[in-house]
Amino acid sequence: MSEPSVKTPPAGIIPRTLARARRVTFLTLVCLGTLLGTWLMIRFLQVSEGYRNAKIGLLICFVPLFYQLNSGFWTALIGVWLQNRPKDDPTDLWETIEDDGGPIDASTAIIIPVYNEDVSRVWEGLRVTFESLQKTGHLKNFDFFVLSDSDQTNKWIEEQTAWLELSRQLGAFGKIFYRHRRKPINRKSGNVSDFCRRWGKRYRYMIVFDADSLMSGALMVAMTRIMERNPGIGILQTFPKQVASETLIGRLMQFAQSLYGPAFMAGLNYWQNGEANFWGHNAIIRLDPFIQHCALPPLPKTVPFGGHILSHDFVEAALMRKAGYSVRLLNTIRGSYEEGPPTLIDTLKRDRRWCQGNMQHFWLLFARGWHFMSRVNFAHGVLSYVSSPLWFLLLVFTTWLAATPGDVIRDGPAERAGHLLLGLTATLIFMPKFVILLDEMVSGRVFKPLKLRMLALLSSMLDTVIFTLMSPVMMWFHTTFVFKIITGQGVKWVAQKRKLDGVDWREVILTFGGVTLLGIAWGIVAWMISWSFFLWLSPIFVSLTLAIPLAIWLSSGKSGQRFGLFLSPEETEPPAVLRELETNLAEVKGRLQLPPEIERNYGLMQVCLDPYVNGLHISLLRRRKNTQDSSEYLDEIADKLIQQGPQALTSREVNALINDTETVTDLHYRLWSATEHDLAPFWSLAIKQYNLAATHPFTHLLARKNPPLAPVST
Amino acid sequence: MEAVNIQFAPATGTDQEWNEAYARLADYFRSYRLHNRIRRTQLVLESLRRASDAHMKDPSRKPVALAIDEARKMMHDWLGTVYHDMHLTEPQIEAGGRLGFYISDGPDRWPLHFMDRNFVPPEMSGAMREAVRTSGPSLQVSKMTPRDMDLGFTHVAEGTFEGFARQPWMRYTVLAVFVTFVFFYVYRLLQ
Repeated sequence: MSEPSVKTPPAGIIPRTLARARRVTFLTLVCLGTLLGTWLMIRFLQVSEGYRNAKIGLLICFVPLFYQLNSGFWTALIGVWLQNRPKDDPTDLWETIEDDGGPIDASTAIIIPVYNEDVSRVWEGLRVTFESLQKTGHLKNFDFFVLSDSDQTNKWIEEQTAWLELSRQLGAFGKIFYRHRRKPINRKSGNVSDFCRRWGKRYRYMIVFDADSLMSGALMVAMTRIMERNPGIGILQTFPKQVASETLIGRLMQFAQSLYGPAFMAGLNYWQNGEANFWGHNAIIRLDPFIQHCALPPLPKTVPFGGHILSHDFVEAALMRKAGYSVRLLNTIRGSYEEGPPTLIDTLKRDRRWCQGNMQHFWLLFARGWHFMSRVNFAHGVLSYVSSPLWFLLLVFTTWLAATPGDVIRDGPAERAGHLLLGLTATLIFMPKFVILLDEMVSGRVFKPLKLRMLALLSSMLDTVIFTLMSPVMMWFHTTFVFKIITGQGVKWVAQKRKLDGVDWREVILTFGGVTLLGIAWGIVAWMISWSFFLWLSPIFVSLTLAIPLAIWLSSGKSGQRFGLFLSPEETEPPAVLRELETNLAEVKGRLQLPPEIERNYGLMQVCLDPYVNGLHISLLRRRKNTQDSSEYLDEIADKLIQQGPQALTSREVNALINDTETVTDLHYRLWSATEHDLAPFWSLAIKQYNLAATHPFTHLLARKNPPLAPVST
Repeated sequence: MEAVNIQFAPATGTDQEWNEAYARLADYFRSYRLHNRIRRTQLVLESLRRASDAHMKDPSRKPVALAIDEARKMMHDWLGTVYHDMHLTEPQIEAGGRLGFYISDGPDRWPLHFMDRNFVPPEMSGAMREAVRTSGPSLQVSKMTPRDMDLGFTHVAEGTFEGFARQPWMRYTVLAVFVTFVFFYVYRLLQ
């Protein structure tokens, strides 16, 4: 496809005059609010003499923080206004496909990059997505690719078996493909690029999933139609709603996203226009320009937090815009879902990854050729994490000023400026919530029954208290992340935890112990300064002091669901895809479990013992010629595996074994041929128990939707 | 397959060894998900019969190893018959063939013809052959090359950071100076 011309923008690119008018409106409001706050702060600080440096420091921290507050405030307010505006939005993409119900010509690949993920969740998610597409009658236009970078042997084997079984059950050989990379070069973005290089030319679009994504067939078909009707769009991002949480923090996020999210989305759409962001998943991408223009350049390795770009999505969006295609947000209420981290610690682990990714974007802020809004998006990303150390420093400066009052004389105007600033800040923080709640009470936009609206009101009040308690803790951790990243302590790529498997008290105490001490110390200092300062600072140090019980409470299953608190529409009226996924996962969970040692090494056990899994693995493995030395080494560790069991081998040794076709073939027969005396207890037990537990070799991790076909008379 | 002789009296090896071989073969054929017990028993006995012959020739090997060896050979011969003209390599026949039997629902549809060299129903061989033909979409290789990016002023800064990276002590010196400055500043404030 040729690149869109600047003079006659193709459908999907918002007219420049409209986009400019919206941006100018938004940025004017934000800048005016920031200026007003800054002026009030200057007026408030001007009265006292001395400590000029502390005041300048305080002011430097204050301005970006106040800008950020204003930005959120106006985004939400504009969003609520748009939601209630009787006139249709001229940029609404849904309108472009109102009369479109015919066949689709385009071929679309649905790609699911995975890295040591919960295999049942990934493949059952794929199943419901596949079936949902089937119901639309457009399945023939879509192919599925699970792109694995898993480096845990068990996960890898389990993924292979799940692929085979699901394809068999759905009759989807040739529709569902599985590819495993031995070396996960450049992580997720490298995984996606690898797909683009190998198969990208076959498809016009790709829909990117995360391992925990779920999308309805109807929405995916609609997205494809929108892309067809709007050739100017390069990336179309949906609003993935968080679902399936069981813990308090997860349900809080779900609730907040359901209630406040649509207004923020509408507001974002208003000022981002065709320069929106790509969030890495639940989005459709036009493949041709993506392949041509969106390969990620590495950052110089020599700069702090340089090297491979971690948060690739923002950069890909900016590259797509640079190539002349728009990046749009699609206002979706239903059909696009994801899961969130179950505990506060998991949330922080994820934030640390995101923090490093966003900090890297600092180097891209001044690169040549970006659209202005792409720079704004990068800056907002950086600010979202840098704001934490700024807030922390602001509080530190405030404490210093309070501790050293000197000759502070508060006159009438300064006092008034202080009060006005306090009022303005509270308005910026709480007004968006209040307006969105008011809108919900009146319109029932999210919850129709009055009872649910009342419960939403109560939940909103409670979430304000909980988020207030969480914020200082998050601030402290984000501050430490920023400093660690600046000083060169990078992050590891780890699989994200998405389900609660119990609260680890030791981990909680070790993680939040330091924060608690900080809170106590800060409280003592505040108390020594003055009683009024102690009260003023109490929300901060009380939250820090209570970090341990707070983390445990937030990560617990006591999430208020039985009292009807923090409900989301996906809980009150679960969509079909979610309902089916939960039923299937419950079936998998209810299966007979083998002894823990065998469950831990289930994949390895299957590939060694099961003739079909062994055959599958060998069939999918790339054949290599071994040297004499490597053969001897592999024989040696194979002996160790047979005689001492999997626990005697390092993960590297297991990987070496499992990547060699001859060794895997050989292992299968050697294990079955060994006498009891020569086998490790693990294998003796596995041989005896495997056939009992696994009546079907491939269904250990999948719901058994279709019973095997009835025997044919022979 | 030859008629199964129920009478099994190996000339070599102990009862304990042959019992172990029997149990292992039973587990091995169960792992093929053959729910037809009669067929499983036939296969176990046939493997044992062949293993006992082999044990007479080479008593140094354990009966359990010989029994699994014989089962493997029987499987190999049978798969060779099914896939004889498909130009597959030996490992492809062995691994892919087993899998083909499973994908075509062989264990449930044709359990009595599993490893039967004498007669494979055409429907069964057709399904098994079709199963091994299935493969992924053919590659359509595209180039996805990163374009050079001018990072603006950061290119100028890069040289400085390169120096920093080569000399880690410089990083720590700068950090120490910064921390000293902060402490000094706090000290001044508290005066």
